[in-house]
Amino acid sequence: MELFGTVSLELLRGFGQTLEIFFLTLAFAIPLGLPICFGSMSKFLPLRILTRSIVWVIRGTPLMLQLIVVFFGPGLLFSLPAMGRKEAVILAFSINYACYFSEIYRGGIESISKGQYEAGQVLGLTQTQIFFRIILLQVVKRVLPPMGNEIITLVKDTSLARVIAVYEVMWMGESFIKSDGLIWPMFYTAVFYLLFSGVLTVLFDRIEQKLDYFRG
Amino acid sequence: MKKTFALVLAALTTTACLTGCSKAKQPDTASDLAYIQDKGTLVVAVTDYAPMDYEDENGQWTGFDAEFARLVAEQLGVEAEFIEIDWDRKFLELNAKTIDCIWNGMTITDEVTLNTSCSNPYVKNAQVVVTNVNDAGNYTSAEDLAGLTLAVESGSAGETALKELEITDYVAVRNQSTALMEVAAGTADACVIDITMANAMTGEGTSYANLSKCMELTSEEYGVGFRKGSDMTEKFNELMAQMMEDGTLDALAEKYELTLVKNG
Repeated sequence: MELFGTVSLELLRGFGQTLEIFFLTLAFAIPLGLPICFGSMSKFLPLRILTRSIVWVIRGTPLMLQLIVVFFGPGLLFSLPAMGRKEAVILAFSINYACYFSEIYRGGIESISKGQYEAGQVLGLTQTQIFFRIILLQVVKRVLPPMGNEIITLVKDTSLARVIAVYEVMWMGESFIKSDGLIWPMFYTAVFYLLFSGVLTVLFDRIEQKLDYFRG
Repeated sequence: MKKTFALVLAALTTTACLTGCSKAKQPDTASDLAYIQDKGTLVVAVTDYAPMDYEDENGQWTGFDAEFARLVAEQLGVEAEFIEIDWDRKFLELNAKTIDCIWNGMTITDEVTLNTSCSNPYVKNAQVVVTNVNDAGNYTSAEDLAGLTLAVESGSAGETALKELEITDYVAVRNQSTALMEVAAGTADACVIDITMANAMTGEGTSYANLSKCMELTSEEYGVGFRKGSDMTEKFNELMAQMMEDGTLDALAEKYELTLVKNG
């Protein structure tokens, strides 16, 4: 029982890192997705090609590889001093998730009927006013389910951070095999992931209900 | 408006990328020793590998290599900082300057001398076969290993030893502790690990009381890996020779039951 306590505490420490990666990634990726989304919808062709190429590269390569490039790349290519391991994780994850989010946003924005824009124009609103006052809230409502999906994927993707030796919950679980010959802590980490994604699922259900008062 | 906004952001991102890339391409000729002394820390890459590097109850890195590294760092006037890394990425870490040396009971192999500037050997090691106490008597020569399920750390000196014996149907696992685990769990008949680890982790009074070593396959030497072309290697060899002479290392070796390599 004492062992169970020790293991739980260690895993909890690792889970703190997991949560930190999770929340910081969201904090950066959710806003960053918006400019990328605008870029890939831009009427200015070079910008559209540039943004879509970035999205293609980011979505087309494994996140694990991106993590390695971000962390080891600067030192290997330009002899720059190493950046922090956690900073590298946040950077790589934020860019990656921002690209996925941007496509979700784009889907949401393009699904809004033209009539909504025309109605705004009739009322004499500017393009910006139309976007922020009429379109955005409807978009938020529509992108919520796919965003929930992606965010729950992020919960589990945080485990990739151990590739560059960030001691998140899976690393902690695995380290018990190395130091104490215990295998069960690794499987025990599943409880942490499950509980957290459970909380997120409930949270997203709540938000969806809240936004149910208007129909997009 | 939307377009302008997007343009400005794209421009910002591009400049950020470009400045990031063009900034400070440091000359490779600079002294690695000076670089380390300048930043004041010697970043030592380790894994949890008793008795060379392991964490004590307070989470402090200790062991032969850890104590040795602290002594060397002290001589250099810097702080030793230990980072537990993924062993598969040790050379990548070293080249990317995310660590300064690999110092974790590393066997000097062709792979190591190819990828690092390796120090003179300091400790002697051997690859041994570990098996269940009851079976230990049955396996005494390399031929006896035929047909057994063998676990060995992927990319380790033990794996090389098996390849040299032309044994190919082994199970490559993530690290030496996992190899021991496999034998303890009965999923492998025997495993090949370092003698230092076998001494520390098997037999009475350890977590693997029912395992014991049954034969030696090859013997080898440990070295510390620095960056290619680094002047740290020479400095390290010099400091180590002093510590061998004044008995500092002998005391350490005795404490951790290791055999030093003394080369005149």
